[in-house]
Amino acid sequence: MSEGQLIYSAIGSSSQRVDIREKVDGSLKYFTDMKMDGMLYGVVFRSTVTHARIRSMDVTKAISMPGIRAVLTSRDIKGMNAYGVIVPDAPVLAYDKVRFYGEPLALIAGDTLEQAEAAKDGIKVDYEPLPVIRNIDEALKNDAPLIHNNGNIARSMKVERGDLARGFKDSYLVLDRDYRTHMQKHMFLETEAGLGYLDEKGVINIFVSGQGAHSYKGQITRALEIPPDKLRIVNYPEGGAFGGKDDVTIQILLTLLVMKTKKPVKLVLTREESGAGGYHRHASLIHLKTGVSKDGRFMANKAHILLDTGAYVSFGPSVLDTAMEVINGKYRIPNISVEGTLVYTNNGFSSAFRGFGAPQGNFAIENMVDELAYELKMDPIDFRLLNLLQEGEINSFGNPERDTMGAHVALTEAKGSRLWKISKKGSLPWIKVGLGVSFGVKGVGYGPVKDVSYAAVEVIPSGLVKAFFSNADYGQGINTGHLQIVAQKLGIPFENLRTVNADTAECPDTGSSDASRSTFTGGNALINACDQLIEVMKPEAARMMKVQPTEISYADGKFTFKEGSEVSIFDIASFMAKEGKGTKFIGSFEMPRVAKPIEGMIEAPRFSNAYGVLLSLVEVNELTGLVKAKAFDFYADIGKVINPLLALSQCESGLIQGLGYAITEELTYDVDGKPLNTNYTTYIVPSTTDIPSIDVRFVDAVEKYGPYGAKGVGEIPIVPVASSLTNAVHDAIGMRFRELPLSPPRVSSRMQQNKGISVLA
Amino acid sequence: MKISVNVNGRNVDADVEPRKLLVDFIRDDLHLTGTHVGCDTSSCGACTVLLDGVAVKSCTMFAVQANNRNITTIEGLSKGDELHRLQSAFIEEGGLQCGYCTPGMIMTSAWLLSNNAAPTEEEIRNGISGNLCRCTGYDSIIRSIQKASSDRRGGRK
Ligand code: FES
Ligand code: FES
Repeated sequence: MSEGQLIYSAIGSSSQRVDIREKVDGSLKYFTDMKMDGMLYGVVFRSTVTHARIRSMDVTKAISMPGIRAVLTSRDIKGMNAYGVIVPDAPVLAYDKVRFYGEPLALIAGDTLEQAEAAKDGIKVDYEPLPVIRNIDEALKNDAPLIHNNGNIARSMKVERGDLARGFKDSYLVLDRDYRTHMQKHMFLETEAGLGYLDEKGVINIFVSGQGAHSYKGQITRALEIPPDKLRIVNYPEGGAFGGKDDVTIQILLTLLVMKTKKPVKLVLTREESGAGGYHRHASLIHLKTGVSKDGRFMANKAHILLDTGAYVSFGPSVLDTAMEVINGKYRIPNISVEGTLVYTNNGFSSAFRGFGAPQGNFAIENMVDELAYELKMDPIDFRLLNLLQEGEINSFGNPERDTMGAHVALTEAKGSRLWKISKKGSLPWIKVGLGVSFGVKGVGYGPVKDVSYAAVEVIPSGLVKAFFSNADYGQGINTGHLQIVAQKLGIPFENLRTVNADTAECPDTGSSDASRSTFTGGNALINACDQLIEVMKPEAARMMKVQPTEISYADGKFTFKEGSEVSIFDIASFMAKEGKGTKFIGSFEMPRVAKPIEGMIEAPRFSNAYGVLLSLVEVNELTGLVKAKAFDFYADIGKVINPLLALSQCESGLIQGLGYAITEELTYDVDGKPLNTNYTTYIVPSTTDIPSIDVRFVDAVEKYGPYGAKGVGEIPIVPVASSLTNAVHDAIGMRFRELPLSPPRVSSRMQQNKGISVLA
Repeated sequence: MKISVNVNGRNVDADVEPRKLLVDFIRDDLHLTGTHVGCDTSSCGACTVLLDGVAVKSCTMFAVQANNRNITTIEGLSKGDELHRLQSAFIEEGGLQCGYCTPGMIMTSAWLLSNNAAPTEEEIRNGISGNLCRCTGYDSIIRSIQKASSDRRGGRK
């Protein structure tokens, strides 16, 4: 089959987002905007203690309060009352114990939101308080109270290669360091929200925030015992996700409310609830010991990564695997030992967040790399280039390296950055200027787990092709990118294409929008669907033209006979429709996997990787401790760029979320385990006045297995930001920060200590 | 309480609870859901509308305070099918991702440009610093506003 001549090239063009008009004129209806006649308002009754046994719960008063239609507890759940994308260890509604502040205990449905809220006062819970575990160190103490019966360690993994002791013995320089990173909140502008209703066919329709419609469907049917054909989930459009809407948030709660009331129900989390009950990025503690030879070659790397998963595991095991995957960078290190420990605490609930463990692992290794290069008096980029694996070499996890070419190019191009020439003289005597480098890696897809994606295309006789896939478009622009792939494959103008996004009733299971995988997997599944379209339509076209299929060829939306007569796919579709034949074609794609998986690892090693080199220019104010990013130069290998404008947007997006992570954002809990800062006044996300000038370059690279050579772009930009900034701060003031965030109090107190001035704790 | 407001050029008489927020009046009573809510601490700016031409966060005031005044929401910015130049610029420069902050961003920018037809980048940054965007990283938003202001300087409507 040939694609023939294309009328134009869709790949590589900055097509506008398919939904941009509705986004700028205010007509797009988000989940928070949806309404229905006779709709009830749902609210979630949550724990006001952090760790406790539930002695009893009494809801009788609430049920009799005005306007209340239902008060639901664990007793109203017929299924397994548990969820969790990897291990279903979290109760939908807690019954015997609460393990974090803000855990759902009951649901209320009322005629008005005010009535539903008021009924919370009618619920009484008798708690037997238990000691609160506030961090990794406390959780691992011998006498620590247990959060789950099976202990406070949710997962342990270890990967070893080579001879570590020998590697360290042969090293010229060995550094032994501890790194700590903190919790980051997603802070999407639209909180978790949804509207559900029961239709006349008895199907529960749930329009709800989320990243993986089919994944929720599986979790909901299991938790509540609903037949799959009685449930429909739709996840588009929504106001941001970033991983925080990847695992189940309110999907099961909303379904339960509709199931029990049989009425339309709307449920929107308040910002405070989203803060306490929603997800966040895992805090980490990383012990790293690394040895190098005198000429700057890695000899050994020993890592122990501990992640705080909070009260339940959610994506914790996969996040841990990812942190372990990046802790060797993509460097040639003959002797390694990487240990991972996932720890339960009472700090809310950690889960997926853009980067997925890679920012934590990167923070440690890239700080270490910078320090080693400095001690060896080597140029930080030359040091990385010297150690970067070549394609074909066996990497730290035992597989032949296959895609580091683009990383070599990115590092080499970064040597020519404008920022090297900028003067390091501050505008005032107490303003110090520094430049830092970091090199980030983020795998694409799920690693060794079998991952088959399905997507469909349908030809509508009136002149449209519809693409169906479940990768939710939460703002990253996958609707547009996927259509560009279909436009290229079929040679059909963009205007004739439409998407149906993230709707389990119509879209095959393309998997979730996560792991930087949507373009790679969904894009390939769509290409396959288009191939099937052409294959099935070809004999039909031949029949219409009364020629042999071998005599016609496909290009630009039509089949052409050699003498010039042609028939369009739309005419074929109406021809087929008359004969009762369907014109919707389902394609599939199985993500390639590494040849040698590691026993027990579920998310790593991955087959394909995106790379990013970030140079950061910072100013450090020695009087206040304020670290200000002045410029970012980012060199990325994301494979072939499908849409330069959207890819740029994803880079700016990730870099600025990384900036927030590194400097101002930190979710904290008080001594009783209550979150302290869950709104935009207390949890500081970057604003326009915080952002540096940003320059993004995509290196010329092609992923052989990606759709038209693409990899994925969603996560890589955030990965190297924090380490690049700490390395820049070191360049500015000569101090290494191995703990995040680089907040003014932390930076200034370290500077005071350095000057021998004692400061109050 | 009875109020009478002009919303997007249309006179509206309504009976509202004294404690009803302007944003709830706009979204729930007038069904103009392009005005969004991103917080409950008046920090995000997603709810920004123009009140007598001045950008206000509609979650920070009561509906009754808008009595006898003119409100412009995102829905009223375009003239029929013809988009406001800021809306066109946001399309051309791709100044959004999820789009949830966009109506508020555009309303604040409209006020900014009405006071300062050709703002510097610094002035744009300061002018929209009360509007949060968690997706874009802001650069594309700033480019969009610059585009709209240079369009104006170029004499376009
Ligand atoms: S909703 Fe008004 S400022 Fe956030
Ligand atoms: S585009 Fe999502 S918050 Fe601005």
